[in-house]
Amino acid sequence: MLKRLVYLALCVCAPLSAVAQAAPHVGAERLQQLAQQPFWISLGHYETGKLGGWRSYVDDPKFFLAADGAHEPKAELSATLAAIYKPLQSSDDPDKHAQCVYPARTRWLRDQLQLTDLPAVDCKAFKQWFSDVAPDSAVLVFPAAYLNSPSSMFGHTLLRIDQADVKTNHTALLSYAINFGAYIEGSDNSILYAWKGLMGGYPGLFALVPYQEKLSEYRSLENRDLWEYHLNLSAEETGRMVEHVWELKQIRFGYFFFDENCSYRLLELLQVARPGLDLLKQFPLTAIPTDTVKAVKASGLVEKIDYRPSRERELLERAKPLSQDEQDWVLKLSADQRQLKEADYLALPAERRALIQDAAYRLERYRANGEERDAGRAQRSFELLGAISKNPPPELDIQRPGLPEDGHDSRTWQAGLGTRGDRAFAEYGLRMAYHDLNDNAYGFPLGAQIEILQLKLRQYEGNHWQVQQLDLATIRSLTPRTELLQPWSWQVTGGLERVLGKHGDENLVSHVNGGAGGTWKLGDDLLGFALGTVRVEHNNDFNALVSPAAGFNTGLLWRNPLGNLSLEAKGDYFTNGEVRRTLSLNQQWELSRNLGLRLSAQREFSQLASPQNEVMLEVKWYHY
Amino acid sequence: MKRILLGTLFAAVSLNAMAQAPGGPDCGWGNMLFEGQRGTPAHFLASTTNGTSGNATFGMTSGTNGCSTNSALTYGGKSWIAMNGMMDELSKDMAVGKGEALTTYAVVLGVAPEDRAHFAAVTHEHFTQIFSKADDTAEDVHTNTLNVLKNDPALAKYATQA
Repeated sequence: MLKRLVYLALCVCAPLSAVAQAAPHVGAERLQQLAQQPFWISLGHYETGKLGGWRSYVDDPKFFLAADGAHEPKAELSATLAAIYKPLQSSDDPDKHAQCVYPARTRWLRDQLQLTDLPAVDCKAFKQWFSDVAPDSAVLVFPAAYLNSPSSMFGHTLLRIDQADVKTNHTALLSYAINFGAYIEGSDNSILYAWKGLMGGYPGLFALVPYQEKLSEYRSLENRDLWEYHLNLSAEETGRMVEHVWELKQIRFGYFFFDENCSYRLLELLQVARPGLDLLKQFPLTAIPTDTVKAVKASGLVEKIDYRPSRERELLERAKPLSQDEQDWVLKLSADQRQLKEADYLALPAERRALIQDAAYRLERYRANGEERDAGRAQRSFELLGAISKNPPPELDIQRPGLPEDGHDSRTWQAGLGTRGDRAFAEYGLRMAYHDLNDNAYGFPLGAQIEILQLKLRQYEGNHWQVQQLDLATIRSLTPRTELLQPWSWQVTGGLERVLGKHGDENLVSHVNGGAGGTWKLGDDLLGFALGTVRVEHNNDFNALVSPAAGFNTGLLWRNPLGNLSLEAKGDYFTNGEVRRTLSLNQQWELSRNLGLRLSAQREFSQLASPQNEVMLEVKWYHY
Repeated sequence: MKRILLGTLFAAVSLNAMAQAPGGPDCGWGNMLFEGQRGTPAHFLASTTNGTSGNATFGMTSGTNGCSTNSALTYGGKSWIAMNGMMDELSKDMAVGKGEALTTYAVVLGVAPEDRAHFAAVTHEHFTQIFSKADDTAEDVHTNTLNVLKNDPALAKYATQA
């Protein structure tokens, strides 16, 4: 593998110095001027380095023609100019000529310098590839968050490249998608995989894959809705972008979950498509895919938005109008297709049977997700399809949920005033990302929470400052169980927090805890949940270095006209005898998209101290 | 304008680039209905790296299921191989008589826009003939479709365009 890379690098780089004289003479000043043009900077994926100068995001020597090309846009430009002028020997493979390896660079230099005397090279492989992709327009695709996978709230974005006939023929399923993702080789165990993914341990590569494959990955396997933003790029602009993607085939980038991720790379591509855009300025620190969508929308690129519901949502919508009895039939049919011939079943009205057997088929396919083909299941699905074909159900009409990019911004600034016992305090907080159960709800699923890095500082009367809370990450997933689907609800969190203790009422402890249980839909906008929890804690009041506890966490979550309300009870029963319980109430008042007011009240109980009450009113500003 | 899947063209690093002609031993063109789909291990893990599904070939040849892209059967300029990954969607669409996969199938078979509604109706009507058993392969479905088209005066012309 490595050998191959080195070999490739040699093929490309070695002959350059020898043929420099073939290139036309371009003055140093003109070269310098060209090398500073935004388009050239985009093609090389350069960014300004931390100590001035340039640095390329490309982490792969074979992408550069000049030895110092990763840092010197100008050197890379001269080397490119020389390389595209290299005469083609009869023994050479034309597809390895610089003109064929770098079609976007070649076209741009030819246009800028009016190069009329370039050697003619027949780039067969590139031409074939380009004419097969046949780029005409582009669509930014955003798979939305899936409730039972809160980390998917960060989402992903990819670009679909459509041919000219896609709109008239409705053949988006035949389009290709440009995907940027980490390249995972071998069989790392999964913890390592997540860690390396976050920390940049895997290289990032562009891939061109059938869109249909991506669709089934997201809609069926991951149960995520898809949003498709049709961009107003012209055929020429789209083509320019696809030409550049060819230059990036098998080229390695660094991949970091938070910034140098899929979204960032796609924004770069869009800037190649339309050089006037400056989408990247807005992402100095992190690029969360919804923010990408916002940036693309704000720059006027979006002309139309399509929505594709996930398979799970389709199943739940289909089952919605069914009565308890009818849902029982769904379960029976999906387990045993012979029930289709039962007299009791056939006694039901035909239009109800159409709904029941369609739901049963969808449930069967849902269960088959991620599984190997099973002959019994295939036979069941097949016979259900046969029944559907004789009595087709009406089309599903699924209402579009709120646009994800119109939800609140990802970072939150918080300021609150409150009293604890008889002491007043002010509290200041910053949360890097993203959403909790009570936050402004538009565009987010009810019952999903993911928070990364939250710090809260508290200032008591007498100017006494203290760290109140530091969360590294908090994830909660409260997915309602239904007759047909019984997902688990779960949560994990870890960090520093204050608890009731022997000395003073607030003792800073470090902890990790998690829980699992169930959530039930009690009304249209009302969820009830109950989870069993476990906790380990380091607490100076305890003798042991770490103390374990088991407990519960239960409550209600109500979406009301003001905002979300949560009512929770929690208990932790430590093995050392301490029992800690909390009752809390939180009501959000949604003032505007990026502004909220939250009232929190709680009462804490402990074996080590008398109960304490706390009330706080907090402003939440979602900004950036 | 010919549309083929680009597996091998983009796969300089791909290790299993040895593609097979349709019907060859490793070519998934004979994929059965309800083949299923193996997924990412867990949502959280997948979303940290944005889902290349741990596929060491980076998905470059996955859409072709190891089939040679050069000898793809084409109809009306489009490759039938492209339908290979859509068997489940196609069966559902045909059972209800409409849908995106069914439209795509019509386009791939070269059915002119004015005949597509009729194509959808005819294939729906003959659903059990086209999807004749649970372990039909893509190839079976294709052959069965052509047989149905041959017997329809308006659509017979699309059954001979190989």
